[in-house]
Amino acid sequence: MIGFIKKDLAMIKSNFKLLGVLIVVYAIMGLMGKMDISFILPFMCVMIMISSFSYDNYNKWDAYSISLPNGRKSNVKSKYITTILMTFIVSVITIILSFIISYVNTKTINYEQILVTMFGTIFGTLLVLTVMYPIIYKFGVEKARIGIFLLVFGIVIIGSLLANYLDLSNVLKSFAFLEDYLIIILIIVAIIMVYGSYKISEKIFSKKEF
Amino acid sequence: MENVLEIKNLCKKYDNFELKNITFNLPKGMIMGFIGENGAGKTTTIKAILDIIKSYSGEIKIFGLDNRKDDKDIKEDIGVVLDDMFFPEILTPNDISNTMKGIYKNWDSKMFNDYLKEFSLLPNKQIKTFSKGMRKKLEIATALSHHPKLLILDEPTSGLDPVARAEVIDIFQSFIEKDDCSILLSSHITTDLEHIADYIIFINNGEIVLSKTTNELLDKYGIVKCTEKEFKTINKNDYVKYKKTKYEYEVLVENKKDFKAKYNISVIDKITLDDLMVLMIKGEE
Repeated sequence: MIGFIKKDLAMIKSNFKLLGVLIVVYAIMGLMGKMDISFILPFMCVMIMISSFSYDNYNKWDAYSISLPNGRKSNVKSKYITTILMTFIVSVITIILSFIISYVNTKTINYEQILVTMFGTIFGTLLVLTVMYPIIYKFGVEKARIGIFLLVFGIVIIGSLLANYLDLSNVLKSFAFLEDYLIIILIIVAIIMVYGSYKISEKIFSKKEF
Repeated sequence: MENVLEIKNLCKKYDNFELKNITFNLPKGMIMGFIGENGAGKTTTIKAILDIIKSYSGEIKIFGLDNRKDDKDIKEDIGVVLDDMFFPEILTPNDISNTMKGIYKNWDSKMFNDYLKEFSLLPNKQIKTFSKGMRKKLEIATALSHHPKLLILDEPTSGLDPVARAEVIDIFQSFIEKDDCSILLSSHITTDLEHIADYIIFINNGEIVLSKTTNELLDKYGIVKCTEKEFKTINKNDYVKYKKTKYEYEVLVENKKDFKAKYNISVIDKITLDDLMVLMIKGEE
């Protein structure tokens, strides 16, 4: 399994420069008091990982990986672990940078706002992963891209319809008591989502033929 | 004799193709050549052995173990070269070595680097910069560098020039001589198999049509070349297939000696695996 993670990291190392540049841009923009682009960074990790599926697909790595010891299980597990690892590392860097930027700009650190923004971003990132990866394992990366587009489109349509016909402020108010536990709830939901998604992907890949 | 690979009644059905009751054994220390035209079922059989395809019936045992239940243990001792399936091409040979170190217990980085030197492959160059032949050599180096006991090779010499092919064939030969290792080798380049294979399995249309030792095939089988008049004197039971060419009849016979003794036809050529394949596939009965 370690080997599979090493292979995924080796594949995405060419994107490390891009991530580095984004982190620097984020730091500069933050210090100048311009736009906050911290939310883009963890999201980039998943996008980079999704592009790694394209390389795998092009050279039929998935089929080859099955000929390796424990290939069917390790292939899926390594993708999830590498993505989570990357997202986690980039998020930690972003949080630390956000603290520094906040302190330099305002001489105080707005812990709560930074953490809520970052946890929201990580949650969104993991939501994409949760939906995309099983679709990629089932239908391939190209169809999965269309799938995510339809999903986002669907959420926007349903969201705007709900906003038109329901008084969302009342709905939100009824969940206000959860606000204090928001981060813990997000973490628990994220863990359940990712684990469920992993299990689905594992099952799909365990039956997949090439 | 101990078998490293045993396949019994392997069947797999697709919409337009069917693998029918494939049964053969590969004894330890032997090289088995797997021949047949494109789409005959060679790669499908290899994929079933490696569990790359799943929904098939029949039994496959490798080192005496079930290929699906004992998948992990078995694959530690198998080296593979698969047709058009490999690592993503943005990786380098060094990345492959690092990856394999975390996959195989017996990965031998020194052996891998020695093969890279022998094949003149640069360890830090991305695979996408390699020619087709260089990629094949890298795949072979990767398959050999964890001291496997069984090599499963699907078209390992395709894309290689004659010099490189000879080099690779030598490596395969020394591989089986070392530790009683075995090879299942599918190839279109049948001259390679004539040199190194101990057994030949010939698959056509999803069925095994011939399974013999290479010596038996090349020594006993022959091609009778005769006129139409001579051909008409041959009993149907005395030949396998025949083909009418512009000037003569080419008749595949199973036993050159017996045929010579029975018929007064003097031109009986030695057979090559290419001739055998063409006559078995295109010939008439």
